[in-house]
Amino acid sequence: MSVARDQLAAIRALPLSGPVRIMNVCGGHERTISMAGLRTALPNDIRLIPGPGCPVCICPEEDIYQAIRLALDERVVLASFGDMLRVPVNVPRSAVRSLDQARAAGGEVRPIASPRDAVRIAREHPGRPVVFHAVGFETTLGPIAAMIEEGLPDNLSLLVSGRLTWPAVAMLLESEQPGFDALIAPGHVSTLMGPEEWTFVPEHHGLPTAVAGFTPESIVAATLSVLTQRLEGRAVLDNCYSAARPGGNTVARAALERCFDIVPAIWRGIGSIPGSGFALKPHLAAHDARRRFPGYADEARRNAGAMPPGCDCARVVLGKILPPECRIYGSPCTPRTPVGPCMVSDEGACRIWWSSGIRERSAERRADAPAAPA
Amino acid sequence: MATTSDSSFITMAHGNGGRLMRELIEHVFAPALGNPDLDTNADAVRLPDLSGDGEWLITTDGFTVDPLEFPGGNIGSLAIHGTVNDLAVSGATPCYVTLNAFIEEGLALSILERLVRGIGEASRESGVRIVAGDTKVVGRGQGGGLYLATTGVGLRPHGLQLGLDRIRAGDRILVSGPVGDHGTAVLLAREQFGLSGDLQSDATSVLPIAQALIKGPGLRFMRDPTRGGIATVAHEIARTTGHTVRLQAARIPVRPPVRAVCDMLGYDPCYLACEGRIAAVVSPESATAALASLRSLGHRHAAIIGEIAAGRPGVVLETALGGERILEELEDDPLPRIC
Repeated sequence: MSVARDQLAAIRALPLSGPVRIMNVCGGHERTISMAGLRTALPNDIRLIPGPGCPVCICPEEDIYQAIRLALDERVVLASFGDMLRVPVNVPRSAVRSLDQARAAGGEVRPIASPRDAVRIAREHPGRPVVFHAVGFETTLGPIAAMIEEGLPDNLSLLVSGRLTWPAVAMLLESEQPGFDALIAPGHVSTLMGPEEWTFVPEHHGLPTAVAGFTPESIVAATLSVLTQRLEGRAVLDNCYSAARPGGNTVARAALERCFDIVPAIWRGIGSIPGSGFALKPHLAAHDARRRFPGYADEARRNAGAMPPGCDCARVVLGKILPPECRIYGSPCTPRTPVGPCMVSDEGACRIWWSSGIRERSAERRADAPAAPA
Repeated sequence: MATTSDSSFITMAHGNGGRLMRELIEHVFAPALGNPDLDTNADAVRLPDLSGDGEWLITTDGFTVDPLEFPGGNIGSLAIHGTVNDLAVSGATPCYVTLNAFIEEGLALSILERLVRGIGEASRESGVRIVAGDTKVVGRGQGGGLYLATTGVGLRPHGLQLGLDRIRAGDRILVSGPVGDHGTAVLLAREQFGLSGDLQSDATSVLPIAQALIKGPGLRFMRDPTRGGIATVAHEIARTTGHTVRLQAARIPVRPPVRAVCDMLGYDPCYLACEGRIAAVVSPESATAALASLRSLGHRHAAIIGEIAAGRPGVVLETALGGERILEELEDDPLPRIC
């Protein structure tokens, strides 16, 4: 920690000439930043902005709806990551709105912590179809690919809502107002996919970039790196996470390529982002819940895919506003009574800010000048 | 099996007032809890002497921990330690305890015997006598194996004044040892988490700690940080005094396995229960001496973890990195039924 304190002192001594907005990609980064109180330890001009790195937050509402419908089929056992259970979908209040409610209504919903739990559950229920709602980024889909290659039980199928992180950042950078001046790139994703995935940020968009792990030390080092780059007028990809090696994990990447096609995919509240989704390869069709249970989706439903009324999760995910600037932050949206997915997941920015003690709404900042939390 | 015969599990007949109930009390409870002041045949007992040199304090508590046994203790020992500790942090020497046991039909007698032995051993170690008690049997599915309810009385010396109202800005907060051990040990003992470890609950009597602190000058207030952990004690102080409680994360002692479990499951050790620690507020000039007295008792992880600062009521955590964040009141208890 003393190295980090020294680096913080170095950051405070930098002759910055105005606000610098640094986006972090991962919910894990945001959690560390909030829990370490990093924003309060940095000069006000350095603005750390939570970005699109919460898989629960961007999971399409349509997919969650399909999972709920499957769970309500008395034959089906539905396995999902615990974080997903309380995410509400857009149906009338009298209808089943979340997997949690589906479970209360008698559906067999099994919260799991690891993809392998889905295989175990399928083996325990040989006579029943088991559907695993596979939500996550590269770091989750990698282990899922390995699991697929070990062989899936016949009764197990996957409702894949997997996403790649970099295309969302690319989409932001290609928009008229990206909203940030430097990027802290995700460490665990880089461990798997290789840090080079992020070279497009400095090379094509001229923004200083550094890969960071989930410790305060690594994030402080990355912050110092991107600020120094900016002061020196440079933009390169720095790697402040020793576990992320060039090329990433070649074994895992090869497994991902054998199991999944990369397709355009919907991000909740944001829309379709090219090349950002994982879809099971045709040879795995027998395990693809989208093919096996197509009747459970209902895209003609009213408000299908929309954000709940008043919920600004999509702008939070894109770094356009900070969590307390959402109109429903804290009332009525809280972890106990979540309206939007960002207040549900441990990786959601709203949930993280709430649990780090920020309970009051704040006025919306100007789009180009994010305020530091009090 | 100590009880005669009919079953090695608790049945509804163990609560019917007849032979099985008599045998349960005579063979399981009386041998483990026996002391000269306990008459299991009496409806009410006369306490030997309540005219001591001080004032009598009374406390009551209930215990529903799941699982019933965990590394470092069980619901029986926990019930005694919990009762004793409430008296100890109030400045009293615990003397007598009454005990109610609500036993669920189907509980193995062998388990019940271990739990009741836990009550007896903890009572003797803590220097309290069980003077009255009752047993009830509830139907299968209506209780968590065993629930216990206690009442304790203790003697506090005349003139000892402790309380939240005595706390002043500038006072220091001490904790007598690593936080979160009990909450984490119970968590690990719950199979559903699929974790294991060799961490033990810290559950024990805090009477020696309390008495050492009482001997020194400048003691304002003591609390055993059970449910809700030290964060909850800090909030109680902030709310009552109207001041800001500032805690320094780097000084809060946390064992590495507790830290690891919290990192993995997203818990904050500041909110996890202790059952053998004291959080104390002392005057600034007495803090070093109070810390030294705890360390001389063998509590080498005891630490000054923060102070009371004039300002808005609230709890601020100064992080190891030099930042700070608000430590909010516990909202959703991550660990129900830990005591």
